[in-house]
Amino acid sequence: MTTRTYLIKEGYQNLRKHGGKTASTMLIICATMLVLGIFIILIQNVNKNVETVRVQQGLQALISDSATDEEKEYMREQIKNIEHVKDVEYLDRQKAYEDAKELFKDQEYFLEGLENVNIFPESFVVTFDDIEYGDDIKSEVEKIEGIYKVKYDETTINAVIALSKIANIFLLGIGAVLLIVSIFIISNTIKLAVYSNKREIFIMRYIGATNKFIKRPFIVEGTIMGLLSAIISFIVISLAYIVLYARLPQIGSSMGAFGFIPYSSFWYQILISYIVLGLFIGLFGSAISIKRYLKV
Amino acid sequence: MIEFINVEKKYNHDVIALDNINVNIDKGEFAFLVGPSGSGKSTFLKLMIREEEVTSGKILIDNQDIGRLKQKEIPYLRRKIGFVFQDFRLLYDRTVAENIVFALRIIEASEREIRSQTKNVLEMVGLTGKENYYPNQLSGGEQQRVALARALATKPPIIIADEPTGNLDPSTADDIFNTLLEINARGTTVLVVTHAKDIVNKLNKRVIALNHGRIVKDEERGGY
Repeated sequence: MTTRTYLIKEGYQNLRKHGGKTASTMLIICATMLVLGIFIILIQNVNKNVETVRVQQGLQALISDSATDEEKEYMREQIKNIEHVKDVEYLDRQKAYEDAKELFKDQEYFLEGLENVNIFPESFVVTFDDIEYGDDIKSEVEKIEGIYKVKYDETTINAVIALSKIANIFLLGIGAVLLIVSIFIISNTIKLAVYSNKREIFIMRYIGATNKFIKRPFIVEGTIMGLLSAIISFIVISLAYIVLYARLPQIGSSMGAFGFIPYSSFWYQILISYIVLGLFIGLFGSAISIKRYLKV
Repeated sequence: MIEFINVEKKYNHDVIALDNINVNIDKGEFAFLVGPSGSGKSTFLKLMIREEEVTSGKILIDNQDIGRLKQKEIPYLRRKIGFVFQDFRLLYDRTVAENIVFALRIIEASEREIRSQTKNVLEMVGLTGKENYYPNQLSGGEQQRVALARALATKPPIIIADEPTGNLDPSTADDIFNTLLEINARGTTVLVVTHAKDIVNKLNKRVIALNHGRIVKDEERGGY
């Protein structure tokens, strides 16, 4: 057995010696990691949906009845030249009617008798490469001659953007708080471990143990606690999300509204976050206690 | 091997624990350090392992000025000095052999060294066959032997025993001193702090007596 494996073994034995304390520490760290995981998942979902909105959302520019085909083509060119416009699609009366039919497919009586008197105006459906410029594009389109109205649901879009920003800030805040809590808990556990090993540490010093040698088992102990908590949390949250994902209705996802994203697209982000977090709180938490209570 | 040159130690600037100490203990010597409680014996030992620092003067251990050691070099100084305590200071959740192995791990000995040295020192203190006992299963005298074995395991050139027989009955105390003499006979410098008057008088070894922080007697073949 090399010195390194001996020190790792010592760290592991420390963990077992304080089994109850170790378990409760890991339970709390797991709980904080789970809360953090839930937030990461929420943010992932919100961001993904915001992204969908960004891509899908556009505005509809209604064309005056009197516009000739050349004028329509000219309008289309003008819109296309506006900055951040991704695509312009011409929607004639018939297409508008078909779309409405699709939308009301279970309540077709709404549209009865409208086939010939088509009430749907011709329009351009304009999509953007970034909805943050939606307002600017809207006012540009409004200036174009032959466009009599622009339909653009800016309140929803602004709300979605605001929501995603708030959610991201919230995640950072929650993450910071949980990080501090976890470090505090681990350092407290290591402090108790240092106290309960006081006798050993005393003897070690007299025999001529280097500071490194005395410190390492505690660092190993903290790191194992952090990493184990990370792995347990990852398993729990993965199972929970997979089960939930299978059961949750994909709310309106077919209409391009809110839909949950599959776990396969972001599990590694959770795993990496947990492992980095586990390592960090384990190392940092034990280092704090060693510095304060070991005085080596 | 152990040299104190004009050593003074004050606590809190005015309490004098040791005053102008000049002493030289040669390699392979056996010496007693005696004196009433509060005479400075403990401070003397603490200075030797740099648990405390001198206020003035200097201490040479194995010809090395220990006042010049950097913090991270102190463990290596301590490896030259095997310490034996009155209350044994064993690890009670480990067996006799594991207590010895513990010391050898600290000095990062190799596996082979650990095996052979554990066997050697247990033989030296007469505990062969008790490797797998826990300290609580042993008598006080045997526990002190384990402590001695642990101190010897790292092969230090100096052994310091601080009241090694303070908790033991007289006949067990005799055994411990005999073991210390055997260790000394193999070339290890031994310094024993003790109140065991009879033993000091009987062994007729060097006696350094402290009182109020000063050396009041230093005799080559002295008594208590």
